[in-house]
Amino acid sequence: MTENTDTSDEWAARVIAAVEPLRAVQRRPSVTIEEPALQDVIALLEASTKLASIQDTTGSDARHDRMNIIGAIRGYAEMLFEDSQTLHQAVIDTLPSILAAVESPASNEPPQYINHVTLASGNVQNNRDPGVILAVDDMPENRDLVSRLLSKAGHTVLTAESGEEALELLETMGVDVVLLDLMMPGIGGSEVLRHMKEDERLRATPVVMISGRQDMDQIIACIQAGADDYLLKPFNPVLLQARISAGIERKRWHDREEQYRLQLERNEKFIRATFGRYLSDEIVDEILESPEGLELGGDLREVTIMMSDIRGFTTLSEHLPPQQVVALLNRYLGRMTEIILEHSGTIDEFLGDAVLAVFGAPKKGDDDAERAVKCSIAMQAAMDDINKANLADGLPELKMALALNTGTVVAGNIGSERRSKYGFVGHAMNVTSRIEDMSGPGEILISESTLAKLNGNYTTGQRRELRVKGIEEDVIVYPILGVTP
Amino acid sequence: MTTPSNKTILLVEDNELNRDMLVRRLTRVGHTVICAGDGETALQKMRADNPALVLLDMNLPIKDGWTTCREARADDAISSIPIIALTAHAMDSDRKTALDLGCDDYATKPIDFPDLLAKIEQQLSKTADE
Repeated sequence: MTENTDTSDEWAARVIAAVEPLRAVQRRPSVTIEEPALQDVIALLEASTKLASIQDTTGSDARHDRMNIIGAIRGYAEMLFEDSQTLHQAVIDTLPSILAAVESPASNEPPQYINHVTLASGNVQNNRDPGVILAVDDMPENRDLVSRLLSKAGHTVLTAESGEEALELLETMGVDVVLLDLMMPGIGGSEVLRHMKEDERLRATPVVMISGRQDMDQIIACIQAGADDYLLKPFNPVLLQARISAGIERKRWHDREEQYRLQLERNEKFIRATFGRYLSDEIVDEILESPEGLELGGDLREVTIMMSDIRGFTTLSEHLPPQQVVALLNRYLGRMTEIILEHSGTIDEFLGDAVLAVFGAPKKGDDDAERAVKCSIAMQAAMDDINKANLADGLPELKMALALNTGTVVAGNIGSERRSKYGFVGHAMNVTSRIEDMSGPGEILISESTLAKLNGNYTTGQRRELRVKGIEEDVIVYPILGVTP
Repeated sequence: MTTPSNKTILLVEDNELNRDMLVRRLTRVGHTVICAGDGETALQKMRADNPALVLLDMNLPIKDGWTTCREARADDAISSIPIIALTAHAMDSDRKTALDLGCDDYATKPIDFPDLLAKIEQQLSKTADE
């Protein structure tokens, strides 16, 4: 899934916890479980034990295994539930929470009801997750049939007799699943589908196509165009219910995902707003001092450039819930910002987990390179505390790679009249980025040009040569191992 | 719901726990089930046992579900056996690929059992009509 968040371990933990009462009941001497249910109970308990044994593993294989095992637990629990008239009450009592836990996390959301549509009254069957269904068909008897079947199952059914009407309804109504007849006069099913897929607000609404068997080619074309499912006429009522439930479940997944994405976006804005201002204070001062500073363009100056990032952070963030990613970034970037400002560095940019900072602009100092190295050492040292705090919060350990390079760059307001920012351009920037690529986790790699500017005594490691596109000579770099007292 | 037909179903699934569970559930509603844990064995059993239907997980060792499906469709002796693909949840692209490759239907994991049974029935009644 564009499902970048792996919540499967949390889900697994919930399932394991929900199975424990059954394990306790099975051990009780007073409770006898007869065959064939006994086998189901034992298999279910074994599956949960297996699930617990792989709980600390990560990666897509582990996720796949977990999903499969949860699937097995769900199957056994459903079988036991079907058998419930022959089961001991103590066993039956444990089943609802197991069945609730094995449901996909997305369907924990209560369904969104709309209030201005009349709900079908009468015998409403229990439905796990009722939704709003739009049935589009030009034949009145088909609309009635679908309407009756789905209302009976507890869904709210809207109907449209043409593609035009369907599109109109979709404009104003919150619909969970569209049941769409392929062959209609006027705007046909594939046309309605195309409109929906082109409309950002409707794109995610699942569509189930309905058609005769002779139109299979068009059905395949519709599925390629983004339809989620299909049903052949005359359709089986059980199959109709199943497709609708699957569609609703898909919609709930999507809604949940959308919520996560919005939250992540809000948090990112917050980070930018919080940390971004540290750059402007200094720069605003300089601009105020010299009115010509407002002009676009800039001046050439020698600066020491610092680039750092967290090794493997992108991969890591794909396996963590968004809240944890944001918690990790906040803690890390917050501390790094403090240290860089203490050393009078200018933070130019945060790109996700990467930091770009410059020493020597807008204010030139005598010890720009020196401060940059001291700052780097302090930053690496701070990682220990950050990781201790992460560990205490159950967050993963982070390793930062860091690079320094000294060179001439153009510094100034770069951009268009409408949108410009104080920034830096030049080959030295690219070289720094290449050095940073080479820098290992926990390492500080500095270029020869930075080393030449240092007055203090620093222990350096093995000299390395680095080929950089666009310059003849290799760039010489050294790892900084520490300060010699 | 219609009574399930007593025809052999080949279940191809590598996860043992999930496979055992599905065998038990399908057997309980009256199906005869044989199993394979990888795509290669699945093709061998399709040729040897001529099952009425194949439930094919896509994520398989040795030979994955996609390749297995393609090869089954290319082999005249077994090309008419209906295949229901079992695909991972929410992978839209998988579902399209499954139908493109000639699978007759698909069910998404986690398996909704009544839905799967309905799909099995539909496939079995289709072959019975022909």
